[in-house]
Amino acid sequence: MHSESSVDPKIMEEILKFSRNVIDAPKLVSAPDEISLEVTPHDTVLEIDKTRLIHYVPLTEKQHKTPLLISYALINRYHILDLQPEKSWVRNLLSQGFDVYMLDWGTPTSMDKYLDFDDYVNGYLDSAVEHIKDESSVEKISLQGYCTGATIATTYAALHPESVKNYVATAPVIDGWRDTTVISNLAKHMDVDKMVDTIGNMPPEFMYYCFSVLKPFEQGIEKYIRFFKNIDNKKFVDNFLRVEKWLGDTPPIPGELFKQWIKDIYQKNLLVQNKMYVGGERVDLKKIDMPTFTQIAVGDHLVSPECSMPLHYGIGSDDKTLRMYPTGHVGMIASSLSQKKVLPELGTWLSERS
Amino acid sequence: MQSDSSKNTGDYYKHLSLFWTDIMHLMSSKPQALASTGPMRAFTSNSKKVTTELIEINEDLMGFNEYLTEYYRQLSDAWKDAQKKVNLKAPEVPHDVEQIDSFKRIWIDIFDNDFTELFDSKKFGENYGKLVSKELELTKHWNNITNVVLQSVNLPSKEEIDEVYKELHSLKKRIGKLELELKKKEARNNA
Repeated sequence: MHSESSVDPKIMEEILKFSRNVIDAPKLVSAPDEISLEVTPHDTVLEIDKTRLIHYVPLTEKQHKTPLLISYALINRYHILDLQPEKSWVRNLLSQGFDVYMLDWGTPTSMDKYLDFDDYVNGYLDSAVEHIKDESSVEKISLQGYCTGATIATTYAALHPESVKNYVATAPVIDGWRDTTVISNLAKHMDVDKMVDTIGNMPPEFMYYCFSVLKPFEQGIEKYIRFFKNIDNKKFVDNFLRVEKWLGDTPPIPGELFKQWIKDIYQKNLLVQNKMYVGGERVDLKKIDMPTFTQIAVGDHLVSPECSMPLHYGIGSDDKTLRMYPTGHVGMIASSLSQKKVLPELGTWLSERS
Repeated sequence: MQSDSSKNTGDYYKHLSLFWTDIMHLMSSKPQALASTGPMRAFTSNSKKVTTELIEINEDLMGFNEYLTEYYRQLSDAWKDAQKKVNLKAPEVPHDVEQIDSFKRIWIDIFDNDFTELFDSKKFGENYGKLVSKELELTKHWNNITNVVLQSVNLPSKEEIDEVYKELHSLKKRIGKLELELKKKEARNNA
């Protein structure tokens, strides 16, 4: 035991400072509900059911000829790609002269429980591509998919190669059996038929559970201690609240889509074996013959590099590039590293082909 | 797993409840038939279904509790082991700010590693899968009971609503595909 006199008086000071920060927090920072996550100006150019196609207002006088469509993930919302100006994926691409579109999947309700891969790939995504082709008077567009959105985009690129000039896969979910994350372990043991038959759409609560088992002590305790310790740091607090708000808002996933997702990707691993069927057609990765750029985060604990990498080796394209970055799943798209390294490399690659 | 004797006892009580529910249902069918077509008539004639569901809920609740107990046992074992590792790595009680920070780092790293190892394990995945499955069984029974109530007031059941959703989805899909085809055809003609 240590005597009372050996206790560092700074400890009391730290405790008092921390308590003061907790009390002062509501006076210093906005509530997450008061924060708007839409940063870069945009127009909604197409709406189908609950999905909408967003077109960002250009930031440069001249743009590359080929427009870029981003297919965001099915989990959480597209705002992470445009959370704040200095870390915005979208703004960076706009400032590099790209004409950027984003597909917002919206918020499915019980009525949408029968929407499946076919609806997303051959319905919503294809309609968005056709709209952009019309609007831009081009025959092909550049397509980027992120996370689960990259699985949908990969499927699209394989089924509609005639419409895709360049394909960018960012942390794509491809090989479920090689995925070493906690999420894949839960997915492999899930009775997804029973889940969809009983509750319809995959509820957000289940996704929140999956998030809670990812580094639970760092994310559940340490993160919030750091927040209150830095309550005077406006930049830190603003970034923290925006990311937290984004994390706490995930829409349900349509039941049939979720069922096919879990079964075909995680349980039977059909996509990487070229055995997955969408809308009655077999998805053959070899048909992805356009220039392809695959981006992987080495520290990704949501989609492990082993799960994404097989895309690079499985496609039919001769012009393919694989880049690995020393960061995590979100760090790859919304951090200073993404601004300084990931986006400039992507921009160079894409501009040479746009 | 349930032992044989508790399963037998469960089966006996299930049989006993169903027997009396059936008999009561038969005995009351004539007076019921005399009643009009009001909601109570529909509800009482379906009351056997509610009883059956309640009995089955009990069975599933037992299974749910088993997996839930195992779930918390796994979590508490992981906690115990992680704490032992922390004690070995940082045996001294921290007594200044730097030591508290280092202790906190060690504690978080060890706990995150151990818990991730647990969540990654087959035993956790299997038990969690079964736990969710049992929870869904309970939800299903609750849905079935709710359906009885809904039908008694002439409202559509979950299955009937699902049928409408399915039909709507199929129609929208067909229209969407036709529209897209038409658009592509027009574009080809204009080219």
